[in-house]
Amino acid sequence: MALLEVKNLVKSYGDRNVLDGVSFELEEGEAKVVMGPSGCGKSTLLRCLNRLHEPTSGAILFDGEDVTDPGVDVRALRSRIGFVFQNFALYRHMSVLDNVALALRRLKKLPRREAEERALQELERMEMAEKRDAYPAALSGGQSQRVAIARALAMDPRVLFFDEPTSALDPIMVREVVTLINRLYLDNVTILCVTHDLNLARHISDRVVFLDRGKVYAEDRIEHLLARDADPVIDEFFGGED
Amino acid sequence: MRVDFPFFADLANYWPQIVRGLRDTILLSVTITITGLIGGIGVFALALSPRGLVRFATQSYISLFIGTPLIVFLFLLYYGLPNLGVTLSPFVIAVLGFTLNVSAYNARYLTIAYKGLDQAELESARAQGFSLFQVFRLITAPQSLRMSVPALTNQAIQNIKDSSIVFLIQYIEFFAQMQEVASRTFLFFKTYLFTAFVYLLLVSVVVLAARRVERKLAIPGLT
Repeated sequence: MALLEVKNLVKSYGDRNVLDGVSFELEEGEAKVVMGPSGCGKSTLLRCLNRLHEPTSGAILFDGEDVTDPGVDVRALRSRIGFVFQNFALYRHMSVLDNVALALRRLKKLPRREAEERALQELERMEMAEKRDAYPAALSGGQSQRVAIARALAMDPRVLFFDEPTSALDPIMVREVVTLINRLYLDNVTILCVTHDLNLARHISDRVVFLDRGKVYAEDRIEHLLARDADPVIDEFFGGED
Repeated sequence: MRVDFPFFADLANYWPQIVRGLRDTILLSVTITITGLIGGIGVFALALSPRGLVRFATQSYISLFIGTPLIVFLFLLYYGLPNLGVTLSPFVIAVLGFTLNVSAYNARYLTIAYKGLDQAELESARAQGFSLFQVFRLITAPQSLRMSVPALTNQAIQNIKDSSIVFLIQYIEFFAQMQEVASRTFLFFKTYLFTAFVYLLLVSVVVLAARRVERKLAIPGLT
């Protein structure tokens, strides 16, 4: 059984369907990228999966549990999904270490020392331990992204969601973050990543779910998508890259 | 203790009365600064409620107290409540009236600071699994408070100055005591100059303390 199973997911704002019957699966240990033109519903999709946005209809099975069920413990669900945001969204009044340790202390209820040890392990994994006392404003984009990933990983999530992890970064930082996520991919971390960065998609994913106007237009390996002949939607998006 | 400034030496006989007044002004100012801050945080929390009705009621409260003179409410409580069979001491009424008023102002400052917060941080806290209350306590409130330190300390200064109006509801604080000294000695110029000087001194102490607090609470790299 897939770790995440999305069936016919619809999200409407008024009479506009941002997601219009999206279905796909994500296996444990798999890395999947969601791509598509701006406004195709990519970010909304991620936010529906952890109920930051309420889906209008459809089913989302996560670990066998229907996430859309009204009785589901949404906060427990969210703590099992690591979410890395486009602009890192670090808590700027807290040090790097506190950013990573906060949820361990307040949600997992670990004692301070234990939470900080655990947080430090993840920071070491992301090569950010020496910045433990720095504040977010003093970090570069790439460093902030590392801390954001450490913060997500610290909770031992079943899956990591990335929302456009490279779009707020300059080209050098992009390479750094692509390498980093690629390492997680090679470590078999389950990943669902929304991006329009082809290079990132190539390095971190097995398959691509291509969304267009709220629907799954195609799902395939990236090289197969790029090799499609005379597909106007795919051609327009990738702009002739191969 | 004696006042050694020759210019103010005539006031020395009234020193115990002056000190008593000063003590009561400080007591009232400190009390309303604390209750107004706690009240302000509470009103601010309600202003962010997911329920529209609660937000509407909170905004109405803030507009009401910012839009009407404080003295009206002090008189309403002092002269109006006895009509309903409730009689409270001038101090309690002063604290009550000021708390309602100062809470509204503080809530407004905090709400303005909130609008400057990075909403993605709040969303990411929700995505981590924090409850709305935890997001408020751990992220929204600390950041909004730290961003509002200059406005909140201005309010504390305002509290000291505004506290002088409570002589109108028979709370005998520093200004009321000085009025009495002036009318006994007929030294109006000296007495009120001294009064102004003391208020300036009190405010200066708060300003110095506020600068320290501001430096200590500044978010590194942001302010």
